[in-house]
Amino acid sequence: MTQIEVVEAPRLDGKRRALVLTEDRVGHYPEFREFFVRRFALDSNGLARPGYVRAPSGMVYALVFIGRSGEPFPDGIEIYATPDALEPLNEADVDSDLWTMLSWMIESVGGEWRVEDLDATGRLYQLTAAGTG
Amino acid sequence: MDASGGAQRFAHEQWPYEPKFKRVNGWRMHYIDEGVGDPVVLLHGNPAWGFLYRKFVKPLTVAGRRVIVPDMIGFGLSEKPVREQAHTLDGHIANLTSLLRQLDLRNATMVCHDWGGPTGLGFALSNPNRIRALVIMSTWAWPVPPAEFHNQIFPWRMMHAPVVGPYLLGRHNALAGRGMYLSVVDRKKFRAEAQSVYEGILPDPGSRLLTWTWPRWIPLDDSARGFARFEWLERELRKSKFPTLLVWGREDEVFDHKTFATRFKELLPHAEGPELVTGRHFLQEDSGAEIAKKINRFLDRIDGRQS
Repeated sequence: MTQIEVVEAPRLDGKRRALVLTEDRVGHYPEFREFFVRRFALDSNGLARPGYVRAPSGMVYALVFIGRSGEPFPDGIEIYATPDALEPLNEADVDSDLWTMLSWMIESVGGEWRVEDLDATGRLYQLTAAGTG
Repeated sequence: MDASGGAQRFAHEQWPYEPKFKRVNGWRMHYIDEGVGDPVVLLHGNPAWGFLYRKFVKPLTVAGRRVIVPDMIGFGLSEKPVREQAHTLDGHIANLTSLLRQLDLRNATMVCHDWGGPTGLGFALSNPNRIRALVIMSTWAWPVPPAEFHNQIFPWRMMHAPVVGPYLLGRHNALAGRGMYLSVVDRKKFRAEAQSVYEGILPDPGSRLLTWTWPRWIPLDDSARGFARFEWLERELRKSKFPTLLVWGREDEVFDHKTFATRFKELLPHAEGPELVTGRHFLQEDSGAEIAKKINRFLDRIDGRQS
């Protein structure tokens, strides 16, 4: 069960890109890098375009993959919301969307990485997005 | 801001100390320098800052000691780099080395906790002519395995996994808030007295970068970035003859004393202790005054002084 949908590059007329999360080291556990490579065909797409996903709030997020000389690609990821150009973000929606993206990522990475453990982590730290707090 | 970093003051009744700053290794480091006598350097780890030692400063200075409490680059009132690549174990040892050489410390006692362990011991073992003694608390200094705890997905590895770390520890400040709260014994007192201070010193997601970077530096296998440095730490520590005191929290679940204090005792058979006190990982919060007293007695013993 996933509420994240990978979408084609949307029209961004009248939108802006708002940075909401930065990961400098996506390959700390290499299976995470491998997931993004696989899901967004980064072996062929490289730096040509971001990956786009639609989250439960309806917001489309751009995943911008970062390359760094001497490191496997991607080395980092920046996640951007794409709100209306002059409108502030709904931070609660963004937070909830990001949590759903984490669940989607963990579920897709698979193996020893289980959504149940992510949920337990969310509960341990009393995150509202994880249904606690 | 002046060349030494400017005067940023943290006003708090429990931390009435004059802030001092030095440029170290390209960064602005905050520290306090109180008292007169042989120096005692109090080193914190993740995600704390000098405030962790607020109950140590007065008893140590009253006993005739000079107390230096640096804030690691990335924490407290020190500069907080915004890229993970700014943080390396060797770089942090070099940061500390720069400060302590600028202060020209001699006959120093290094009090090491959490990441203050690998960094403080790294300094001590590469600058032995400046060291008098070691006090080691809830830390480690060897490559792998750290402990079963650090191999587990929950609660440890998931917390700092890619993308999860910046979300949980960055957006939600989970380590300085709930994380520290869970790692003390008297949680009610911690919440009333200290939790907001630890949370408030890391006010924005970008200021919390080191809280998820340090966990990623704990080696889990021989491909880890810090592996060779930890091998060196273990090898050199085993050869060291510094008078050493081990102090551990009985309730410590992160670096449990049966695994970690025992291993230090194997490496340093001449060490005193482990002396167990009430405390989880942040044992200074539960037993600060008691540990300060133990340090004073230990240093008095090795100096041949009466307590």
